[in-house]
Order: sequence, then C-alpha cells, then structure tokens
Amino acid sequence: MASHVYLLFTLAFYAVGALHVLLQALTRRKLLTSWTVTATLAGFALHTAALSQRWTEAGHFPAVGLHDVASFLAWAIVLVFLMTYTRTRVEALGLAVYPVAFALVLIANLTPASASDDPILRSYFLPIHATLAFLGYAALFVAFTMGVLYLIQERELKGRSPRAFYYIVPSLERCDTIGGRSVEVGFGFLTLAIVTGMLWSHRARGVYWTGDAKEWTAIIAWVLYVVLILARQRTGWGGRRAALLGIAGFAAVVLTFVWVTVASGVASAAR
Amino acid sequence: MIVLVGLSHRTSPLPVRESLAFSQDRLPEALRRMRQEGGVAEAMILSTCNRVELYGRGEDDEDGGRLEEFLCAFHGRPRDEIAPYVYRLTGADAVRHAFRVAASLESMVIGEPQILGQVKDAYQAAETAGTLGSALNALRNRSLAAAKRARTETGIGENAVSVSYVAVELARKIFGQLRDRNVLLVGAGKMSELAARHLVRSGARATVLGGRTFERAEALAAALGGRPAPFESLRAELAAADIVISGTGAPGIVVHREDVEHARAARGGRHQRPLFLIDIAVPRDIDPAARKVGGVFLYDLDDLKAVAEANLRERQKEASAAEGLVEREVREFLEWQKSLDVVPILVELRRRADQIRQSEMERARRRLGPLTPEQEAALEAATTAIVNKLLHSPTVLIKEIARNGYAAEQVALIRKLLGL
Repeated sequence: MASHVYLLFTLAFYAVGALHVLLQALTRRKLLTSWTVTATLAGFALHTAALSQRWTEAGHFPAVGLHDVASFLAWAIVLVFLMTYTRTRVEALGLAVYPVAFALVLIANLTPASASDDPILRSYFLPIHATLAFLGYAALFVAFTMGVLYLIQERELKGRSPRAFYYIVPSLERCDTIGGRSVEVGFGFLTLAIVTGMLWSHRARGVYWTGDAKEWTAIIAWVLYVVLILARQRTGWGGRRAALLGIAGFAAVVLTFVWVTVASGVASAAR
Repeated sequence: MIVLVGLSHRTSPLPVRESLAFSQDRLPEALRRMRQEGGVAEAMILSTCNRVELYGRGEDDEDGGRLEEFLCAFHGRPRDEIAPYVYRLTGADAVRHAFRVAASLESMVIGEPQILGQVKDAYQAAETAGTLGSALNALRNRSLAAAKRARTETGIGENAVSVSYVAVELARKIFGQLRDRNVLLVGAGKMSELAARHLVRSGARATVLGGRTFERAEALAAALGGRPAPFESLRAELAAADIVISGTGAPGIVVHREDVEHARAARGGRHQRPLFLIDIAVPRDIDPAARKVGGVFLYDLDDLKAVAEANLRERQKEASAAEGLVEREVREFLEWQKSLDVVPILVELRRRADQIRQSEMERARRRLGPLTPEQEAALEAATTAIVNKLLHSPTVLIKEIARNGYAAEQVALIRKLLGL
C-alpha cells in the first residue's frame, strides 16, 4: 500500500480519538477509555507504517516539505503523549493532543508530498537531526499544554465557582511538575537538534552558523528555556511564571518551525 | 422470594420514621421476632435515619402484609396510621430496591458513602442474630458488589459534597499531594478541626495558633499530632503555611491583606508556591481583599458551599450511568435466581419420566399384541405407579432443599444427577 493510504487510515483513527475525547469532556466523564487508547495505538501503528513507506518512496528521510513535516510531527506528538500518559495518567493532555494530531495528519493528507531529490537530503544527518528536533518539539508542546492547563485551573480555582475544567484538569502542582519535566526533556532534544543541525551545516556548507533568521529564532527559544530551567532549579521558581514562560518558549519554537516549514520548506543546511 | 416492607425519606416525614426505627440494641430481638411473627424464613432489618426497611424471604405476597403488621406491633403503632407511608415490594422489585439502596441511588444525597456501611452492618447484624439464610446472603453479596462497582466505575461517589471535604478536595486541586504540607489553624473551632483532621490524615502537618485560651490550641494540636503556637507569631507561621484554616469567633478581620502580602514576600524561593486560605468563620476572619494577592486562593464558607453544590450537580449527571450499571447487575442476579428455581426441574423430571413410560408401554404393546381394555388399564396403572414411587423421594427432597433457600451447589448436582 502506498504511504498516503496508510495516512488516510491513520487520520480515521485519530479522528475517533479526537471526537471521543471531546465528547467525553462535554459529559465530564473519564476522558480516555480503553476505546480511545486502542484507537490511538492502532492509529499510531498505521502512522508508523505510513512514515516507513514514505521513507522508501521519497528516497530520503520523510521530514522535508509540509506534507512530511506535518505527518512526522503528529507522529512525534502522539509518541510523546503516549509516553507521558503511561507515566502520569494525565488525561487532560488528550484535549490538546488529539485535535492537534488530527489537524496535522489532515494537513498531511491534503498537501502533496515534496519531490526534492537534493543529494544533501540523503545525508544521515537528516534522520538524526529531524528526529531529535521533532521529539523536542513534541515534548515542548506537552510542556506548553501543561502550562495552559495550569493557567486554566488557576483561573477556575481563583474564580471559586467550578466549571467543566475544574473537574477535568489535574492539580496545579501536577501541571507544574509535568510541565517542568517536559521542558527539561524537550530542552535536551532541542539542544541536540541544534548541535546536529550545526554539524550538518558544517558538513554541507563548511560553516556552523549562517546567521539565518530561523537559526536566530531557534537560539532565542533555546535561551528562553535555559532561563526557565535555571530559574526553576536555582530558586524553586514555579507555578504561574513557569507556566507563562513555558508558553512563551513554545511560541518561539512554533515561530521557528513555521518559518522553516513554510518559508523554506527544507531544514537550513539542505538548501 | 424476597419480600420487602419499608418507609424512607421519600415516602414519610422524619417523625414517622423515628417512631418506627430499630435501635442497635433491640435489633437482635427484633430480627428473631420478625422471623416468628412475620412468618418469613430469613430476616434482615435496615434502620437508618433516612429509611426503615424489613427484608425477608417469604413464600408469597401475603408475607408483606404480615411484615407490616409486625412492624406496627413491634413499635406499638396502629397499622392504619402507618399504612400510607409504607411501601411493599416482592420478588424482582424487592431485589431491585435492595440493589439501588446499597448503591446509594435511593439516598437523599446521591452517591453518599455512609449507606454502604449501614447496609453492610444490617446484614452483619442479621447474620449474628442467625436470621440470615442463603437467599438474603446472596442478595447481600451481589448488591454490595454492585454498589462497589457503581462507586468505582461511575462518578457518583466523586467530588465532595460536604463543606469540610470540599476544603480537602480544593487543597488537592492546588497542591496535588498533601504529604508534608503545612496547615495553619487560626482558632480552634469544631469546623476547623474537622477539615484539619482530613488534611492531617492525608499527611499534612498541623500548627494550631492559640487565641485567648492557649490551652485549647495545645489540646487541639496534640489531637492533630501538630504543634501549638502563640497568636503573636501569626505572620511567621503564615509565611511557612501552605494551607490556612481560619475559624475564630472574632467579630472582625483577623488575617489582613498586609499579613498575607508579608507572608508571600517572606517565603523567598517559595514565593510562587500557592497559598490556600480557608475562611470558615462567620463573620469572616480573612480580609476578602487577600484573594487579589498573586498565588493566593481564598475560599469563605459561601464559596465552599457553592463548590459543594456544583459537585452535587456533577454527581447527578453520573447517576444515570450508575443506574444503568445497577440495573444490569439486578437482571444478572434475577437470572441467576431463576436458575435456582426448582419448579422447572420438577416439571421437567415428570415430563421425562412420563415420556419414558409412554415409549416403554408402546414397545410392550408391540411385543404383546392386542390387549384387552382390562390388560391395557393394568399396564397403565403399573407403569404409572412405578414412576410415581421412584419420583416420590427425589421430589420431596428437592422441595425440601428449595424451602431452605438458595442452594446453588445442590441444585446443580440435582440437575446433573437427573441429566437435565
């Protein structure tokens, strides 16, 4: 089967997950049931098959162009979500993960696959750099979501009249801890992605740093996260400010990301 | 057949229920008398402030009437005065009611946890008094299991609906784990004590701030396993606290906004950690303006009540899920009950024996050739007599077993023996 057929089935399974989570949220029942988890695992397996098939079809690692980027990013987000969920059982995360995964796979389904055959893309740096970067993005997305959930729950608690989110969202402390942990993991991946990106650039063009706008954005996001992590470790700085900075850091990451995907279509070294 | 006679908060006013309630110490006597005077083989009495119910194993609908008579006689109340408040259920309806009561679906506050314990105790009392047989025991096991399932698989028991539990629930929503959190009690009132007890049970540490009488603070601190502190150290203690419960009888504000701001500033590295202020005093102890301070969550008594009401609405949404679950359990139980019914066994046994008799007669006729009407009648009489005599003692035995209540193993054995 061609990769886009797998991707279509993947979309169907993620759609089931997304719909189910939102409906459960409306009735305020347990967000994730064994049905959702089964649908997600099936979708994820098909998604993996789609990516591996796409790798063969493209002749290079499928992380170039909007089609591949959207699909691979959704894959990374679902993977990181499943790992976070197994460890923490935080279901509210599904409220953001399912719609986003669904939207990304939908975008992948609607956009044509890029047909670039630049020899640089056959470098083994591409799979390493892209996987690190995408896992980093996914972890930072989880951190961002936990930050948003923190602010929502804080608002519910300050407001003193509980509405839907009060029941669904975990405690402030938990949002804070999981958010902090995700930042650390995401930051680690981001750092490694920047390092491998530089090495790749050096290998391909002989320079580590081209001064490109997206490189600057990546560095700014990286610095923001350094500040956040240091502030947390040194001063026990957490809660609201950490949540806000986690959200800001992710916004910077998204900016880099959109720039890379839409403006240039290819990771910097590959141009 | 399960027979039930009772009255509850839905059918009767409190004075009527009170006049018919069974006290703990008279329960054994009541159970024994209920069995004798009510003419039931098994007896159980559930008597709480919201309901008085007599459960028995009887033979027919008449037993309900006798139980009602016993209920009136025991309490010396005229029957026609009580009759309008009493409901009588038998068979499947009684079973369904028993399941629903245990699952707290019939409770005033749906999902309240006490009823399960009360039902358990009622069965236990019947067992001790020796009035619990296999029928009520089966009802006990299945209805309690269904009640537990309803609690764990649906949200009817979730979300606190009493003020002191709401305080604990909110603390959990803010801090997650309560282990090693510092709870500061300002004033040593009953309500503060109740909420503090819940928190301490979850692992929090208590500090009790003394008022004019330091002895009371000392006593409460000892009871909570915490330490007392003089009122003058309010600001220092506030800086160390995660949760503050204030319930003094003071006429004015005790904890001012400045105190809270000071405490936040003094926390240093823990500056951004939340501070949960619970004001259960009327008039209020804590300056309402304190809630404007960042990271501070202030709840007064009205706020806690509002949360409790919202929680109750959430529970009611879960009720339909719980009702479905309980109904499925009830049907399963009724099916199982039916499988223990011996009447079909007896009918089937008769039918088979007669079938064999008929076919053997047919064979005999073929071998003997034409018979005179007298011979035919004699053959008929002889075979029928054999069948009846053979079936007599098993029939008596099976009926006997049925009279003693459910005997799942014996019924299964009988079915096996007879090839049914």
